[in-house]
Amino acid sequence: MEQLFDLALFNSALRMLTPILLAALGGALCARVGLFNVGLEGLMLIGAFSAIVGNHYFGNTGAAIAFSIGCVSLFALLFAYLCIHLRANVIVVGIAMNLLAAGLTTFSLRTLFNVKGAYYNKDMVGLPKWELPLIKDIPVVGDILSGHSPLVYLAIVLVGAMWYYFYRTIGGFRFLAAGDNPLAARSLGIQVRRYQYGAMLACGVLCALAGAQLSLGQVTMFTEGMTAGRGFIALVATMLGQSGPLGVAAASLLFGLMDAFSIRLQGFAMPSHFTQMVPYAVTIAAMFLFKNKEFVKDAQSSGTSSR
Amino acid sequence: MDKWKKLTASLLGPAAAIALGLLAGSIAIVIAGGSIVETYAEMWKGAFGSFYFLTSTLNRATPVILVGLGAAIAFRSGFFNLGAQGQMALGGLAAALTALYVPGPGWLVAVVSMLVGIAAGGLWSAFAGYMDARFRVNLLITTLLLNYIATLFASYMVAYPFKDKTGSAAMAQSQMIDNAIWLPKLFKGMPAHVGLLLALAAMVVLYVYLTRTVSGYEARMMGGNPLFAVYGGVRRTPLMLGVMFASGGLAGLAGAGEVLGSQYRYIDNSFVAADFAWTGIMAALLANAHPIGTAVAAFFLVALQTGGMGVEMNTDVPLEIGDVIQAVLILFITVKFVRGFRRRRKEGDPNGAAV
Amino acid sequence: MLLKMEGISKNYGDVRANRQIDYDLKPGEVHAIVGENGAGKTTLMRILYGMEQPSSGTIRIGGREVRFADPKDAIAHGIGMVHQHFMLFQNFTVAENIVIGKEPGKLRFDRKAAVAQVEALSEKYGIRVDPRARIVDCPLGVQQRVEILKVLYQGAEIIILDEPTGVLTPLEVGELLEAIRTLTKQGKSFILISHKLNEVMSAADRITVLRDGEVTGVLETSRTSIEELSRLMVGRPLAAMDKQPASPKEKVLEVKELSVLGSGSKPAVDSVSLHVRAGEIVGIAGISGNGQSELLQAISGLTKPARGTVALLGTDVTGKSAREFRNAGLAHIPEDRYVWGANKSATVAETGTMGHQRKLGKLGFLQGRTVKARVSEWIKQYAIKAGSPDNETQNLSGGNLQKLIVAREIAQQTAFLIAAEPTRGVDIGAMETIHEQLLRKRDAGGAILLVSSELSEILKLSDRILVMYEGKIVGELQEGEATEEKLSLLMVGGKRNG
Repeated sequence: MEQLFDLALFNSALRMLTPILLAALGGALCARVGLFNVGLEGLMLIGAFSAIVGNHYFGNTGAAIAFSIGCVSLFALLFAYLCIHLRANVIVVGIAMNLLAAGLTTFSLRTLFNVKGAYYNKDMVGLPKWELPLIKDIPVVGDILSGHSPLVYLAIVLVGAMWYYFYRTIGGFRFLAAGDNPLAARSLGIQVRRYQYGAMLACGVLCALAGAQLSLGQVTMFTEGMTAGRGFIALVATMLGQSGPLGVAAASLLFGLMDAFSIRLQGFAMPSHFTQMVPYAVTIAAMFLFKNKEFVKDAQSSGTSSR
Repeated sequence: MDKWKKLTASLLGPAAAIALGLLAGSIAIVIAGGSIVETYAEMWKGAFGSFYFLTSTLNRATPVILVGLGAAIAFRSGFFNLGAQGQMALGGLAAALTALYVPGPGWLVAVVSMLVGIAAGGLWSAFAGYMDARFRVNLLITTLLLNYIATLFASYMVAYPFKDKTGSAAMAQSQMIDNAIWLPKLFKGMPAHVGLLLALAAMVVLYVYLTRTVSGYEARMMGGNPLFAVYGGVRRTPLMLGVMFASGGLAGLAGAGEVLGSQYRYIDNSFVAADFAWTGIMAALLANAHPIGTAVAAFFLVALQTGGMGVEMNTDVPLEIGDVIQAVLILFITVKFVRGFRRRRKEGDPNGAAV
Repeated sequence: MLLKMEGISKNYGDVRANRQIDYDLKPGEVHAIVGENGAGKTTLMRILYGMEQPSSGTIRIGGREVRFADPKDAIAHGIGMVHQHFMLFQNFTVAENIVIGKEPGKLRFDRKAAVAQVEALSEKYGIRVDPRARIVDCPLGVQQRVEILKVLYQGAEIIILDEPTGVLTPLEVGELLEAIRTLTKQGKSFILISHKLNEVMSAADRITVLRDGEVTGVLETSRTSIEELSRLMVGRPLAAMDKQPASPKEKVLEVKELSVLGSGSKPAVDSVSLHVRAGEIVGIAGISGNGQSELLQAISGLTKPARGTVALLGTDVTGKSAREFRNAGLAHIPEDRYVWGANKSATVAETGTMGHQRKLGKLGFLQGRTVKARVSEWIKQYAIKAGSPDNETQNLSGGNLQKLIVAREIAQQTAFLIAAEPTRGVDIGAMETIHEQLLRKRDAGGAILLVSSELSEILKLSDRILVMYEGKIVGELQEGEATEEKLSLLMVGGKRNG
């Protein structure tokens, strides 16, 4: 592979941006209702692990994904309950969720599969690769778009779906209102809490899909800590995209490209360490485009430190 | 009198959480098919059973206590520094390289190496603080992302330029540092080294700093009510940079101590594998960022890990039982924060912000 | 009678916010309710709008007795509220804000229909708005029109306007009054809550005056005057005060042409100039919300002003930090003790240390014993019910915390002291103590800027009184010539005769 930029790069990018995109969409939903979810990483990890577990025990990827959704939703529900009803600090709960996920997946890896570090079973079948009937024959577009796991296409569809929900339906309109001004929304009888729970649960589903794509989408295996910070990158994508589906998609595309690019660079006798740094460095650079509110105003509105 | 009350109160949290964690562990043991009593007995033995095991636990706790103290000072001041893993890696790497290449009498090089380690961790941390203070870039996320960059950089350094090419080593690690620079052990033949004393000293210093100094007072008030602090004339930027440097410096010292006192070289990924940094952060959260509570919590969390190894060797229950108990402990972190918030919620504005 | 409220009382524990209030409203009428802050207007309206339940009394609409469990009930009965702080969604359009809750369409939001409906509404009531504009881009006057259209869309016959002109420019105020006239001609009724008597006089048909939770008068607008109204609003027996005449010396605080931005296009502080000399208390009278908070923040280092200068003892401190202000000689009793003045989770001693910590430090170490001794002194001197200084701040009652803060700031022994609402929520005895301390500081040569919405407090303590209204200083009175009547007139935007 001598070329730096070719169609295969963009194909990889699409594959790699999917978990980030899915998690970022979840993060966007949460952010819209005032929940700054730093636990995307943990939720994604649980999703990845339970997808492998599901695949192992049920033998088919559909059931595996359903199982994964179920598992992550439980955690998302817990998360929501702690933050909304018990009014815990959403950031602390998010950090706790990440630590919880790491500990539980390690333990379960051991007790269920009796391995450490990674679980790989050559007989397990991962997600199929769909060759899109007509599209695959289109010269450039086909090479990029065809041959991905169904979750990739689902992610693209979900971007559209979320856009439609937010900007075309009444439910989505009220959802956005609940986040824009909860006080005003309540005075109109809009159930802000219900929308918050809904957002967190939907985020759980999305993170489950993100995790499933990680563990079933390319190589069918689970590695400890395989999310490798993608949950945080997804959070930055959410912020960059201003919690709007199209913005988030664009930001995720940027990060997916960086991910793919960094792997491509490895073929150029650049030590893999530096290529792996690229996504994180780019993310930090991107954060300069998104700045927090001035400290005093931030403190006045949130009543405490948010940093 | 009240000071003792406060101390006990801050220890009550972790103690209660550990009790509940052990309960959850019992359930997990039954699921794994072991005997509860036997398993916990092995766990106790593994952590404290013999002098060797006890010092082993203490040895492993040394970096965790240091990281925990670093996290504690940051959290107390209202800053979410989650970058201990990266800060520790850079600290360890810097200390190793200093020890390998700076000439001089052993003890002096050791001291210098530790200072360099502190500086490395501190500057990396202060860098994130600077980005927040000057450019308003969210501290929590930058510290997290910088972790990956720092650990990758450290990995690179010992995989290429500073790799130990002597010996059969297929491992990415630095050369071993000279005998003379090794931190002395506390007891002959036992793992614990002088770093433990440094950790305990740091704990005392931090406690004194927070409770008895002017600067520590300002830091605590910034953490408790930032508007109150600003109103009273506390300047956020210098405070943040100083606290972040101290916080990262402690993490850096943790790394330096491990290199100089335990591993005698910088081994790629060893800190991450042992999970020193996140355990330290967890200890600080458990103890509500109280310095002494954090050290105690750190010790107990590490005891779970070493005890777990004992369980692994002598029973059918896997060592990850420690992870389960830890996981349950984490849940109780949030509950603890919740109890404090319940009170606030009652007085708070019912129509206020979403969360 | 469209609306009849009889014998409405509301108690919050010991506090009697509303006492046997009667109020009624005819169709097509504008019936205003006026009173100072704390007179009970807001509570009464919250009851009418279903946000609170009365402790006793009845509400009748069209003759039938009703009970509102929540705002939706009130809305269903044709009552609409335009809040003082708009309840609008900034990033949505005008049309979206108006139709929310009753959007046209089933699943899909038919925005085209919404725009059409809003245009029709706008046409019908003669209230001009651009349905497609985003609220964040609209001036406050337009936003208010959107709020009015919103309640009309929801079917309101009775419209409550809560302090509607606070953020409006004079032009926008005129447009609002126009709109009210048009709507009353179409049969809508208005409850206008305001402390701005000249506007009330030009808009209302009848006026009810509240004071301390009671009705002190119900008058036909054509048969009363601003003077009579302000007397009914504010009249309170003056506390006798034994005060030595002031002998002010050099200027300590000098503010020139200070302006601070507000939330809309109107500045919160509009080109204010004032000075305070050593040995005098300058009081700023005014109903809260007329720019006092923003002024104080600008002269204490908590906000940067847009224009103008601030100097303390000759040092220019414009736009500097709180620390620089304090170093230049400022102490500050803040108007909101919980937001700015204390740390609830800290001990009493720690809350009492703020501002002193650098002076109490030796080689960087805080002198714990000295701190506690000092705080214990204050506890004795001001009779603060705090237990020991190691008690948690949040265990202090509001009044006792206020005493602690006053003690702390006066103990700074600075040249200049800001006292903002220094006796808010404090009992009579404590009030006397605090007033005594303020006078003592002034006699010792301190310069004090007193900001209070309690007229009696201002009159009791001030050597010179400035009145603030709509961000400007609208009057200055010396101690001898100030009377309640003159002041209350200026406070509500009236003009002085002579």
